[in-house]
Amino acid sequence: MKKNLILSIFIILISFLQNSCGSKRISKKIIVASSGKIESLDPARANTLKAIQLISSLGDTLYELNSNGELVPELASGMPIISKNRLQITINLRKNVFFHDGTLFNSNAIKFTFERFKRIGTMNYILGNKIKSIETPSEYSVIINLNKPSSSLNGLLTSVNLTPISPTFYKEYSDKFLNEKFVGTGKYVLTSFSNEVQLIDPNLNYWGAKPLNKGINFVGYSNSSSLFGALKSKQIDVLLSNSIDDSQRNSLNNLSKNKKFKEANSPFTELSFISLKTNSYPLNNLNLRLALAKSLNRKLISEKVSYGLRKPSRSIIPPILKKDNEGFWPKYDYLEARKLLQKENYCNGDILKIPLTYRSNVPADKLIALTWQDEIKKSLNDCIDIELNGVESTTVYKNLSLGIYTAVILDWTGAYSDPEAYLTPLLSCNEIVNGICKNGESVYSGSFWGSNKVESLFLESEKISGKKRLNKLVEIERIAANSIPYIPIWISSQRAWSQNKISKPIFNGAGIISLSDLEIIDE
Amino acid sequence: MSRNLNKILNYSFLKVSLIPIMLWIISSLVFILLRVAPGDPVDAILGSGADEVSRELLRNKLGLNESLINQYFSYINDILHLDFGKSLSTQEPVLDIILKSLPATLELGFFSIVSAMVIGFPLGFIGLRNKGKKTDYFVRIFGIATYAIPPFWGAMLAQLLFSVYFNFSPIGGRFPIFQQQPKITGFLVLDSILSNNFVAFRESLYHLALPSITLGFLLSGIFSRSLRLNLDKTLKSDYVNAAICRGISRKKIFLNHALPNALLPIITISGLTIASIAGGALLFEVTFSWPGIALRLHEAISQRDYTLVQGIVIFTSILIVSLNLFVDILIAYLDPRIEY
Repeated sequence: MKKNLILSIFIILISFLQNSCGSKRISKKIIVASSGKIESLDPARANTLKAIQLISSLGDTLYELNSNGELVPELASGMPIISKNRLQITINLRKNVFFHDGTLFNSNAIKFTFERFKRIGTMNYILGNKIKSIETPSEYSVIINLNKPSSSLNGLLTSVNLTPISPTFYKEYSDKFLNEKFVGTGKYVLTSFSNEVQLIDPNLNYWGAKPLNKGINFVGYSNSSSLFGALKSKQIDVLLSNSIDDSQRNSLNNLSKNKKFKEANSPFTELSFISLKTNSYPLNNLNLRLALAKSLNRKLISEKVSYGLRKPSRSIIPPILKKDNEGFWPKYDYLEARKLLQKENYCNGDILKIPLTYRSNVPADKLIALTWQDEIKKSLNDCIDIELNGVESTTVYKNLSLGIYTAVILDWTGAYSDPEAYLTPLLSCNEIVNGICKNGESVYSGSFWGSNKVESLFLESEKISGKKRLNKLVEIERIAANSIPYIPIWISSQRAWSQNKISKPIFNGAGIISLSDLEIIDE
Repeated sequence: MSRNLNKILNYSFLKVSLIPIMLWIISSLVFILLRVAPGDPVDAILGSGADEVSRELLRNKLGLNESLINQYFSYINDILHLDFGKSLSTQEPVLDIILKSLPATLELGFFSIVSAMVIGFPLGFIGLRNKGKKTDYFVRIFGIATYAIPPFWGAMLAQLLFSVYFNFSPIGGRFPIFQQQPKITGFLVLDSILSNNFVAFRESLYHLALPSITLGFLLSGIFSRSLRLNLDKTLKSDYVNAAICRGISRKKIFLNHALPNALLPIITISGLTIASIAGGALLFEVTFSWPGIALRLHEAISQRDYTLVQGIVIFTSILIVSLNLFVDILIAYLDPRIEY
């Protein structure tokens, strides 16, 4: 009797807690969650996917990539006009567009934004020395003068880091960052900012189509389990998948198949690969690199590590930028790998020892390394011995150019939507001696591989455009694939999940969700 | 009495004079360990894609190209002027970041200690009253078990159970996303009271409940065990027996003689516990996305934000050393057996 009474009191107490103490959802705004916090809303500083996602809702870029990878004018009124010598790009701007502070958007804003980014931008290296000067011949026309022809500038014009900001509002911040505010031309205005929570409301004076919702509350949780739990317990409406564990990704994918959530995918843009140090023993030997490449079972790794959600890739350029899925890099063939190793006097008592470094703070990297090691133990046990070595990511980045790692697992997402944004950081080199890069991008990605042919093709590609340019870039990849400075593993996409009462998220070609298209469909 | 006061003052002076030496050792160790650790903030800020020119520019801008000895002297000089510098990743003054996140940690710490005492003390009493019985064994096992559970695991389990499955509690954070939080002192419960905002008061308590009760639950074992042990020992002491022989009531003996003496070691334990929580229940804050000082430290370490890590470690060291000093002096004052 006494026990029953205690149990009843406990149940009543719990019900009371659940029904009366819980936060009542009084807002019609949509709650979007992702991992981590936003340090800065300054487009010149933003380098996390989360900040880029929010800035792209608060501001407009000159151009945007649609889901087919095509350039679509946003603040530009038409496509860029390129001069005959390809050293001048003229962009006409949209009229009657206002910043959130009420000032007019014009060519001065573009000049101010570009020059500010070039001066203080954290990632200003993406511009390099491409831009010589910016002219403003009229209020709604901008001329970008280039130091040398650059076809990749079209892609750069879609970069969120170059989102136009109000010169009036940022007057005192032309040489320093403004982290907690943002004044752009976008569909939303920022109403509240803290590192963990950001609130945005529809911009009533927006020049284009108005958002379909009454605002977005952006929240960051510090770990993957909290994000997963928050979506499952319906405490958030939309979950962006950056940094969510693969097992939880898979679980959400299965729940979506059972109609518990709606799932959306961005185009595949994040490349995971193994960088091979080609300038010293043992991997200065092409046959050994080829053997290693042929021993990597991408399909198995994708299934074991990502439950098949990441796409095995034999290319370092994302399919959306290449317009096809063709892969040039070596296929998995362990028998062929054995023959190559035997040719180099391994497998007959001698075992090729390869130290493989992975980033210990990236869970997928360790699983990739373990799966590959296990596969090699099964099929090439007498030929290759993979020794695993976990190192924290910042240490890996610091040591890459020092040539410390024989083989290291890395990933890369292009800073802008262009094949060049994938090829240049991995393959370009400023100083090549006997096929070894002494100074340049491939040193910083740990491969030390260089090719004069590739460099001349890079230069040629700057002078042409369209299909011809794409063919040149594909040729560069083909040359690299024959030399195997890297082993592409897979290519991943961003994912987002929404509750059933919210419309399905839509990604653009750059992997950014259109927050304005999110709509409450069941109130 | 005045002789006693003089003794305590001398004792306190000796203890206080050791603080600068302790802080110097701690700050130097932090400086050396951070520089010895591989990786640097430039790599954390720019990632692997930046070229060497951009890296060098940023390194120069952040003052990382200066010699280590210069960096060290400028760092010590800044600390002496209570200038913790600016965060390398956000350029925000470190002291501002600390002061912004400290209230969240202290609020969680305070409610956790209260929960720990509310759960732990009654259990300690119950255990002692039923000494040698099943209840006593249960309380003792409870004490060991809660002490042994890793806090992050307990936090994850509580989150999974109460936030995901039963949906009683928010998954993380200090306040509802869709409401404006009162901003006066940074202590949300206090701010809600000061601003007469009942909804904010309820919401902040609601968000605080699960993390603080869970942490309190995990800490309660220490309190129940130490109370049970000390009280048991005190109740067996000669002066208690003498009091019983003199016919003083059991209640009076318990409240006036046994309990105050049994509580002395608990004051030390409480001080140490409060100090460690003030330093941040690191993984606890990470699990509950609690925007306190430990979460900031966790992020700063992963970003190799030297100045922020140094600032947080030194600030929490000052806090811990001060609390320990306070506890030492309090014990010295309360316990006449202590020689100083």
